[in-house]
Amino acid sequence: MIGNDEVAVEVRDLVKEFPAPGGGKLRAVDRVSFGVHRGEVFGFLGPNGAGKTTTLEIVEGLQEPTSGTTSVLGLDSVRDREGMKARIGVQLQAGAYFRYLTLEEILDLFGSFYPRALPPAELLDKVGLLDKRKALVGELSGGQAQRFSIVASMVNDPEVVFLDEPTTGLDPQARRNLWDLVELINREEGKTVVMTTHYMDEAQVLCDRVAIIDHGRIQALDTPLGLVRSLPAAYRIVFRASGEVDEHALRQLPGVHHVSPVRLNGFNWELAVRRAAETLPAFVEWSESNGVEVEDVQVIPATLEDVFLALTGHSLRE
Amino acid sequence: MKKLFVASVKMLYRDRQSLFWALAFPVIFVVVFGLFDFNQAPNVRIDVVGADRAPIGSALIQGLDRVGSFDVHRTASGAAARRSLMDGDVDVVLLVPAQASATGSSDVEVLYNGSNFTTNQFALTTIRQIVDGMNLRASGISRPPLVVQTRAVQAKTVDYYDFILPGLVAMGVMNISIVGMGVAVARYREQRILKRILATPLRPIRFLSAQVLARLLLSVVQSALILGVGVFAFGGHVYGNVLWLFVLVVLGNLVFLNLGFAVAGVASNPDAAQGLGQALALPMMFFSGVFFPIESLPRVVETLVRYLPLTPLLDAMRAVAIDGKSITATGVQLLQLGIWVLVSFALATRLFRFSEAR
Repeated sequence: MIGNDEVAVEVRDLVKEFPAPGGGKLRAVDRVSFGVHRGEVFGFLGPNGAGKTTTLEIVEGLQEPTSGTTSVLGLDSVRDREGMKARIGVQLQAGAYFRYLTLEEILDLFGSFYPRALPPAELLDKVGLLDKRKALVGELSGGQAQRFSIVASMVNDPEVVFLDEPTTGLDPQARRNLWDLVELINREEGKTVVMTTHYMDEAQVLCDRVAIIDHGRIQALDTPLGLVRSLPAAYRIVFRASGEVDEHALRQLPGVHHVSPVRLNGFNWELAVRRAAETLPAFVEWSESNGVEVEDVQVIPATLEDVFLALTGHSLRE
Repeated sequence: MKKLFVASVKMLYRDRQSLFWALAFPVIFVVVFGLFDFNQAPNVRIDVVGADRAPIGSALIQGLDRVGSFDVHRTASGAAARRSLMDGDVDVVLLVPAQASATGSSDVEVLYNGSNFTTNQFALTTIRQIVDGMNLRASGISRPPLVVQTRAVQAKTVDYYDFILPGLVAMGVMNISIVGMGVAVARYREQRILKRILATPLRPIRFLSAQVLARLLLSVVQSALILGVGVFAFGGHVYGNVLWLFVLVVLGNLVFLNLGFAVAGVASNPDAAQGLGQALALPMMFFSGVFFPIESLPRVVETLVRYLPLTPLLDAMRAVAIDGKSITATGVQLLQLGIWVLVSFALATRLFRFSEAR
């Protein structure tokens, strides 16, 4: 696989151990393997301490693996480190820049570290910070600083961009702005994006494929839709009935996994189903043939949060 | 590399508060020490008992007044004068004899406070000279056969201020380097700037070298400021070639910058680096002889402090600044500093780290 033009990142049997406090070893990354295709947005979804950042930093050549190999664009993260670094962009989690240089000066300086660099003005313009080019990083809002840190990782016009928790700590509006930026980088500039997040909505919206990681292991890897569909119940059908409902009859409908009353008034129900399309026609037929009028029917797809819960037995926020 | 250096200098320059203290702190010392007059003869408070006993009493008082440094009180009672001496209100008590005794010789008694060495030295010598003069005149010798003529052959005046000025230069440089560099690097690491740089193809040694060069420049500016204020505003003297002083400053600063990197490597955050840096710099400042000659230390301690990096730097700087020697005459010190540069570099590379994790 290594050397393949279609592969942006290749990780094989990656293990990273740290000396544990009080002796012994702590395995932060446990036999992780995956590949990232060129041009995709690949996401690591997992709680803090799951091993996302460690995996990313080994791929970026910032940490040494205990065992296993990683490569970017066919270049080994350890052996071909220098060549690889010239072709990737790295945004660190909660990483800062020099306090006493202006945005323009920082981009100019970082550009000088690469054989080829984009003009600072062009970069700042891309993230709407051109009028702030003489400002210091400390004078930016949280969202602006984060946009700057992303654009600063692109001074060398990299082919692969690594973003580590790019929206952590931002307000909803700033997060949405950042999502637009990631889409711009990916869709319009064709850059491969590898990112980590512990927000399931972010992974769902931005990522072509998501690796769910917990305790240093990849628990599942698929498209967001594929992950959701892998659940026994990928959708919920919620409705209000006009009268009494025979719970047993509902359970007999095709694809129904689980039936539960939503409120204890006997009229609101929730069906957990495999596929909405599979159950809905039978559901409508059931309501007509039984003379039960249903209102406010909602079909709610399961989320990655549900997938995470199903896979790990605990929620993302824990 | 040039861009990195310019950026590093800009960062130092724009961090106005740190810059101000880096430059102002030693200059405050230069000003404070400059306000003291270290050449002034000690002022001696003297009680004269029996001053009105002519002719000896008046002749003695005349002699004391002529010297000028004596604060003369006339006291009637010898007991009261002794009490003042015990209480420390006066430094010397002079007891004038009533008259020439039968043997033709009388005692001029001088009582002094044994604890005040310099004042005593001065007072006793002066009183002896006055009495000698009186004796000559009493013997009728107006032109003594032998007269001591003094002529200073040392063409320069060296006082404590001249001694301390190179010390303050070295102290200032040591502080901005051990503490300043240590804190700056610890902060770069805490903010993950070092790691961010590691993620680029730039060789990290280049970034660190630019930082070192910028701080070497700062130390030269600082030294020039200290010497400038000391020499032009307070009349300090530098007898040797000032350029050699700057060469020594840069060489010594290499040691201190390395120690700064080592401090940053050991300290877990910028505050810890500040504390650790001070803990290294402050004792060194006193022990290596910024303020006092290390010869005043106990023998064992003196031998030990000779191995500190600041000691050979101070020795060499004083050899140039005070004795007017060429830098080539300070070979031993240069060798010691050279060894320290290597040792501290090894220490720095050993302890330095790019990320929080060990």
